[in-house]
Amino acid sequence: MTVERLDDTAMAAGTASTTAVPRGVGSGALVASALGLAVRNLRNIRRLPSAFLPALMMPLVQSIAFSGTFFAITQVPGFPTDRSINWFMPLAVVMGASFAGIGIGFSTVRDLESGFYDRLRMAPVSRRALLLGPLFGVWVRTLILMVIVIGTGLALGARLTGGLFGLAALIVVGLGVSVVGTGWGLGLAYRFGDMRASAFMQLGLFLALFLTSAQAPLSIMTGWLYYVARVNPFTPVIDLARIGFVEPGTVERPWVGLVALVLLAAVAMGFADRGLRRLSR
Amino acid sequence: MSTDVTSHRDDPAMTITIARSERRQSLWAQTAAMSSRSITAFLRQPALVVPSLVFPLFFAALGTSSFSQAIDLPGFPPVQSFLDFALAGTIIQGVLFGSITGATALATDIDNGFFDRLLTTPTSRSSILIGRLAGAMAFGGVQTIIFIAVLLPFGLRIQSGVLGAAVMVLGGVLTALAVGALLSIMALRTGSPEAVQGSFPLLFVLLFFSSAFFPRQTMTGVYRRLADANPISYLVEAFRDLTIEALSLGAVVRLMVISGLAALVTVTMALRALNRRLVKP
Repeated sequence: MTVERLDDTAMAAGTASTTAVPRGVGSGALVASALGLAVRNLRNIRRLPSAFLPALMMPLVQSIAFSGTFFAITQVPGFPTDRSINWFMPLAVVMGASFAGIGIGFSTVRDLESGFYDRLRMAPVSRRALLLGPLFGVWVRTLILMVIVIGTGLALGARLTGGLFGLAALIVVGLGVSVVGTGWGLGLAYRFGDMRASAFMQLGLFLALFLTSAQAPLSIMTGWLYYVARVNPFTPVIDLARIGFVEPGTVERPWVGLVALVLLAAVAMGFADRGLRRLSR
Repeated sequence: MSTDVTSHRDDPAMTITIARSERRQSLWAQTAAMSSRSITAFLRQPALVVPSLVFPLFFAALGTSSFSQAIDLPGFPPVQSFLDFALAGTIIQGVLFGSITGATALATDIDNGFFDRLLTTPTSRSSILIGRLAGAMAFGGVQTIIFIAVLLPFGLRIQSGVLGAAVMVLGGVLTALAVGALLSIMALRTGSPEAVQGSFPLLFVLLFFSSAFFPRQTMTGVYRRLADANPISYLVEAFRDLTIEALSLGAVVRLMVISGLAALVTVTMALRALNRRLVKP
């Protein structure tokens, strides 16, 4: 019931505090509020397809275009797969998941500029619900994206060398990276409060993801990028995403990627939480 | 001048000549004023143009580190470093994305009514378009100079020397004119800045399905056929020949003919689109 009512209409009418707020402050109320916000977020897919479709098409096009353009890179001695789609499809999933996350930053900026977010904050909704709700919505968007990108990749000849474990690793990384994107997007949206945040959202994640083994493995990399990618925490995360699509044994310590992912997600959501607190002050 | 006109008032032939001369001067003055406005707009909004300078350079740096070992692959042209190979793609990438800014400005003029106000003045219709394109051309030339100047200290070698670099700058100007005119057609037809901005994914796809980032000779199957059919491939390769080969008349003519022909076709189409807009606003 709460889920149904926590939408734009109820909130915009200023009735949120009286009719849409869950009774009680327990975890059930938190989850219900978060789900309400998630549903609102997902409704925007239907209401604003022009905002969702590019986010879906971009990883798809990236996966196909990179695989075709850089097809020959797999012939370099030491490259861990002989199929370029195996190398670039997981990268596209990671990029798409991260940008699905920062997409919520854009819509939060819109809500902040229109004043809707102020009304949302005035409602006796748990602050954690304001973070978790969008995150649940982003997870659904990321799952849609992963089904389409992975499905297309497999149709184009990607070979799952790591079995179901490898596929599970890619899904976990996709969902984890979407948390990082969500935290980063929300944190910047709360701090800037207007569209100036959007450039930092995109540029920050873009640089963080490309200054890694995104295009080529560390083993064949040379120059400055090698040193940057070696210490970039996103490198083991991307390696983990690829574990099911490269030669077995290529990723020697998958747990490093998992730890890095958890830490990055925690830091990003902490960044968002601090931003929300600052906004409340 | 007015004295001359008075003194020759009795001579109809002279009067017509003077009137034509004044109209020509007026046309030049109007076009110059429009061009100046367009170039000033570029200078006043660095935030809009900086990405089209920074991102191509970033990708050149990234590619040089990631794909340095790819230059030994079969089908790769003889280059001393990947940076030499990457310059042409960097120029085309910068010019493509930079031209979006100019065309968006034209669409904004239409959208906010400034274009209509210009039409109510005795301004030459074509000077409105040519002025905008002059801004794009100037920016294309500056971009090419900046890309070469920034990459030279990092090991870029232009085998065709200073003269070849100068030809490349001219090629950058003509390419910017061609792409600027192409995007202006979209601006004139839609009058929507969002629609022009929306051409970014299309340009992204065109760029990736060409030889901008990797040689066509290393591609296979449908990717190879797409790159073969993509005119951007030939434009990029004309720039590349001047970077990796000694100066030759053939390479100069190739770049001038390809970029010049592209400019001729798209400017003609843009002028037609302008006429159509004037007939049916």
